Amino acid sequence: MSVVCPSGHQSQTGDYCDQCGAPIAGATQVLPPAEEAETSPAARRGPCPACGSQRSGDDRYCEGCGYDFLAPPPAATTWEAIVTADRAQFERLAVAGVSFPDDYGERRFPLQEGENRIGRSRGHAGEEAPEIDLAPPPADPGISRLHAVLERRPDGACVLRDLGSTNGTTLGDGPAPIAAHTDIPLGDGDRIRVGAWTTITVRRL
Amino acid sequence: MSTFTLQAYQNEYLPLGGTDVNAIVTVTSDGAGGPSGQPEAAVVVIVDTSGSMGSPSRKIKAAREATSVAIDCIRAGVAFAVIAGNDHAFSVYPRGGELAISSEQTRTAAKRVVSGLTPAGGTAIGSWLKLAGELFRATPDRIYHAILLTDGENQHETPAELDAVLAEVEGVFSCDCRGVGTDWQVSELRKIASRLLGTVDIIAQPEAMAEDFRVMMHTAMGKATRNVDLRLWTPQGATVAFVRQVAPAIEELTDRAVHVNDLTADYPTATWGAEARDYHVCINVPPREAGEEMLAGRISLVEGDQVLGQALVKAIWTEDQQLSTRISREVAHYTGQAELADCIQDGLEARKRGDFDTATFRLGRAVQLAAESGNDGTMKLLQAVVEVDDAATGTVRLRGNVSVVDEMSLDTRSTSTVRVGAGAGAGAGAP
Repeated sequence: MSVVCPSGHQSQTGDYCDQCGAPIAGATQVLPPAEEAETSPAARRGPCPACGSQRSGDDRYCEGCGYDFLAPPPAATTWEAIVTADRAQFERLAVAGVSFPDDYGERRFPLQEGENRIGRSRGHAGEEAPEIDLAPPPADPGISRLHAVLERRPDGACVLRDLGSTNGTTLGDGPAPIAAHTDIPLGDGDRIRVGAWTTITVRRL
Repeated sequence: MSTFTLQAYQNEYLPLGGTDVNAIVTVTSDGAGGPSGQPEAAVVVIVDTSGSMGSPSRKIKAAREATSVAIDCIRAGVAFAVIAGNDHAFSVYPRGGELAISSEQTRTAAKRVVSGLTPAGGTAIGSWLKLAGELFRATPDRIYHAILLTDGENQHETPAELDAVLAEVEGVFSCDCRGVGTDWQVSELRKIASRLLGTVDIIAQPEAMAEDFRVMMHTAMGKATRNVDLRLWTPQGATVAFVRQVAPAIEELTDRAVHVNDLTADYPTATWGAEARDYHVCINVPPREAGEEMLAGRISLVEGDQVLGQALVKAIWTEDQQLSTRISREVAHYTGQAELADCIQDGLEARKRGDFDTATFRLGRAVQLAAESGNDGTMKLLQAVVEVDDAATGTVRLRGNVSVVDEMSLDTRSTSTVRVGAGAGAGAGAP
């Protein structure tokens, strides 16, 4: 496949132009560096299941989110956030200059007890990235750096809190964004809409 | 198939007009073999049997013993040979210009031959490497590695003859070089090891040889992927200032570029087992406007044209000086480690030609850098050559009586680096 960069070059790579290096807006393709990791038996070496960061060597904790690679699978009540791109939402909002990512793979984030921030890291070394980091391309430009929080409470409940994001957070299919800095209790299967096309479905496991 | 993971560490923010993009790329390989079966190893042990190995006789005794230990470590099924070298090269086991396949029987036979090696004649290292190359070529589809042991200078061959052989065998096999005693040339063995993507070290005491050989043989047989290149794409108008391996040791790769196309070059990294290496890449890019972003480099690890993993190096121009003046911890660390190696080599050379002011200054700076980065191994070696008054300021005095062994050990190991935060006990890049 080939895409056209802002300077008009034909590029075989969809994230940055393979001629001039310019970012390609609404990039629809990324070369998955860890393609093999997902299919090989050594998948434990692959990206972090929580935030998608590459694991550094045999490091026990993820550099992106602190996920423990050696942790046994969680028991008891736990929640999971499933991030997908929703074309209906994208067409409803119709944000100018943003294109829909056709090959947006589903991203799953197990929710840790306590706060799980939704946002976009800047990719700095040493940066404390949000637990639910939606920076890896294709990135939704409508998501704030620190957008919202999913809090898993000790009693097993899960609440959503918008952190005063630029474009707001909506719950379900309603048009009205939720109030900022206010806890909204969530139920199994609730769908949270952020940005131009991102839908986060929470699941009680 | 091994899994490779690449991670880039950098400050992608540049001041307006800024052109230098620096990044450290950490490559980790799990060294796992594939379902289709990884290529088996082929190893050749090259033992110097020149006349000087007989004085003192414990040198040849230790060499025989170390070679036997190395042979014992060879897994069944691995192809191997032993070359004895003086001013000619002899394939002492097996005879007949090919490699033997390791088994109880062949290993026993090889050790019997090794126990009879007798020192005589001169030293022509190029001829030994040439023979190793011929043996490897006769056994296709393997991961090729040689271990070279010598105690002396390459006297029976011109540097041009050695260079010609290196050009011929470069890329065919990798080679770890070991110098025993103090009559060999650090620069000569370093050149061979560099070209053949292996390690170089001194074995000051012949008795320490066996353990070192055991370790080298295990490392050689742990290699699961061969012919791996670091591929660097840079945008139009950009130039690659340098590419160097910075851990586990400094190795300049800039001049080793093989151009794939106008924007892409491959740098050799040879074979990989379960290991991690760090690379420092510096790219000059044409500056852009504030707020603009550019991909300054796409770094992949490739085997042929198969991409094993990749990392991105970015540039974003900003007016915010707080962002643009920060230096990535990883970049700063490895810039220091490279300077450390330079300071040691310069300092030792100045000391040799009697320029004690320069030697004191450069070795003092080396002490300071070793202390700052927690490079304890290098610090210990430095202390054998200088008296440290204050490591923090690099105040040192040259020692009067320095043994040749200490000086050569420091020189040989000057390129060894520590990873980020090794001194402070933190992992590389940990938040």
